[in-house]
Amino acid sequence: MVRERETPFDDEQARFSAGVLGMWILLAVLAVLFVAAILGYLAVRIDNGSAFIPANAPSLPLLLLVSTAFLVLSSLTMQMALRAARTGGASQGRMMMATLGLALGFLVVQALAWRGLLAEDFGPTGSLYAWTFFVLTALHGAHVVGGLPPMVITTWRASRGAYTPENHRGIAYCAMYWHFLDGAWLVLYATIWLGSIR
Amino acid sequence: MTTLDTRPHITDEVPGNYLTFRRGILSWIFTLDHKRIGVMYLVAVLSSFFVGGVMALLVRTKLLFPGEVSWMTADQYNKAFTLHGAIMVFLVIIPSIPAALGNFVLPIMLGAKDVAFPRLNLFSFYLWVMGAACAVYSLLAGGFDTGWTFYTPYSSQFGAGGTIPVLVGVFILGFSSIFTGLNFIVTIHKLRPPGMTWFRMPLFLWAVYATAIIQVLATPVLGITVALLVVERAFNIGIFDASMGGDPVLFQHFFWFYSHPAVYIMILPGMGIISEIIAVHSHRHIFGFRFIAFSSIAIAIFSFLVWGHHMFTSGQSPLMNVLFSAITFSVAIPSAVKVFNWLATLYKGSISLNTTMLYGLAFIFLFTIGGLTGIPLAVLSTDIHLHDTYYVVAHFHYVMMGSALIAMVGGLHHWWPKMTGRMFSEFWGRIGCTLVFVGFNVTFFTQFMLGSQGMPRRYYAYQPEFKMYHHISTGGSYIMGIGFVITAIYLIHSLFAGKKAPANPWGGASLEWQCSSPPPHDNFATTPRVGDCYDFSAVHWDEKLQGYVVDTEAHVAAARSDSASGKGH
Ligand SMILES: [Cu+2]
Repeated sequence: MVRERETPFDDEQARFSAGVLGMWILLAVLAVLFVAAILGYLAVRIDNGSAFIPANAPSLPLLLLVSTAFLVLSSLTMQMALRAARTGGASQGRMMMATLGLALGFLVVQALAWRGLLAEDFGPTGSLYAWTFFVLTALHGAHVVGGLPPMVITTWRASRGAYTPENHRGIAYCAMYWHFLDGAWLVLYATIWLGSIR
Repeated sequence: MTTLDTRPHITDEVPGNYLTFRRGILSWIFTLDHKRIGVMYLVAVLSSFFVGGVMALLVRTKLLFPGEVSWMTADQYNKAFTLHGAIMVFLVIIPSIPAALGNFVLPIMLGAKDVAFPRLNLFSFYLWVMGAACAVYSLLAGGFDTGWTFYTPYSSQFGAGGTIPVLVGVFILGFSSIFTGLNFIVTIHKLRPPGMTWFRMPLFLWAVYATAIIQVLATPVLGITVALLVVERAFNIGIFDASMGGDPVLFQHFFWFYSHPAVYIMILPGMGIISEIIAVHSHRHIFGFRFIAFSSIAIAIFSFLVWGHHMFTSGQSPLMNVLFSAITFSVAIPSAVKVFNWLATLYKGSISLNTTMLYGLAFIFLFTIGGLTGIPLAVLSTDIHLHDTYYVVAHFHYVMMGSALIAMVGGLHHWWPKMTGRMFSEFWGRIGCTLVFVGFNVTFFTQFMLGSQGMPRRYYAYQPEFKMYHHISTGGSYIMGIGFVITAIYLIHSLFAGKKAPANPWGGASLEWQCSSPPPHDNFATTPRVGDCYDFSAVHWDEKLQGYVVDTEAHVAAARSDSASGKGH
């Protein structure tokens, strides 16, 4: 059986640089998505002034600070994993494990923050203020969850030392995506925090 | 390599062409070949076009009668025109040129072996299929009757039962379009052959590149908008809900921030095709290459700044209205630049009045009408009268169908011999094109009259004074329908009984005419050398092959001396 070619590129370097450009475009797409969501939020938030926040609304969960710390740390370990892969270092597997663990930790803490709000009767259908909080955090959370499958595969491959100085495409793409999610969360968190000031 | 091998590349292990490279249904389902994916898109898009066309004919047939008819209730009528609009926009026109024709010819025009990410390309196609499946499911769940624009609060609080499924479908189709755009941008950046500078790149690729930028930057806004709308409809609360402090007009801003650029996602690649058709079939160097190329980019940039012209009657502030109106006028400049350059190319060209060229000329004519009739809609005072009337319907059909879709059909004829390896019947081709052209004008020019006299769009019933115009318009749609049926018949017939196509039936000089028809799996055995793709001086008719041959040595040498002497274009 004749096989079809899987890439039009003949050399690895050209293929990698095309992949990086593709990732940049993907991140631009996601950036537009997040910016649009934030603008939509700001439009209704500014329109309504402080009346947007119901009188009995609880303050932002402090747990968000914990989850933010997790995510920022995971960005650091991700970068260390990438650096290890670039030099063919053996720590790439361990660093990817740490990243994956911190990512899961982030999701768990976000879920706990949600649960706390629900327990205080601040559910998403109660007010537009609550709705926007849940929708924006869910939007970001969905992108973290969506990043998990490639992260798991990359971690598995890294733990077998699969990434070399010559070929570390997979881990490099993962790192780009992960840093983006980190940055997106910081912007989103800042927006939500500013919006929560009466 | 002074002459070209016009027979299929037959080497030891690679049999025949891309169609015979591997056999069996699985070899299509899992294919990574951009040509096969393009063909699958083409079949899918044309099937959707058939369904959308039937819906249009049903709507037009209902409108023969001013009042109620027994065979279509007002509700069914709402669903029929919504289905027509949604299918034609999201399933047909947006993917038609980039995903179907673009997929097929883009890598070949670059002399590349495939698009940059073949797997992502196949994934885009299956996203399209999933999006279409959602639309079908929506019909089973009660259909949708919001109009293709899904305006809130009707879509978020009322509307038929299938609204959520179709919104999910639109979301998925959006990502299909985004991934196609992403793939094309990277392909054009990273896979141009040595010697093909940006200004040696065919204008179709410039247009597809500009389109891809819009696809990538505008479509995510549609994605988040329909996602928010789905959540709002499901939970009965959201930022478009006025009773909760939300803003329904915000939906219109979001929607048109995508959907105006989407108009250029539809028309820009069509303009690219016309640049190819006009140059190749008048055998004359394209006039004003850089002007046409940069006008594509200018249109792409302007497209993000004019969305508010859909909302002049929405209560938007007068200052905003004035700004959007003014910027909208400026879109006329790059559009007109293209038209004048096409006309200048035709001037003193040796024009072949074949089917493809007829479609090219039809485009210029219809696009000019479509563009000029847009001016009264951009003028604030006249728009108040024309807003939401048949005038708007006529205007955007001249642009979306008379231009974008006609260009698509023209491109289909232009590259048909390349894709299928067969020639279609010129005789029937010209008849089909004429019927479509005449039918189109009868259908839609009438609607300018209807609209300017006050007939609102989307209405089930109408006043007796509009009856004559509605009858003429419906008659025209039948003529157009017959034209498309004839076109479908001779194209399908050509697959079985058409003359074998030479590599270069029209005398093109860009790379896709320099590999066999149909192309082999890898397109080119070695990376081809490029000359000026609009320099036809080295293209000669070969009686024996019954096709044109490009003298590569002379072609490339001419391009070299051009750039050496700084002549360029
Ligand atoms: Cu517009």
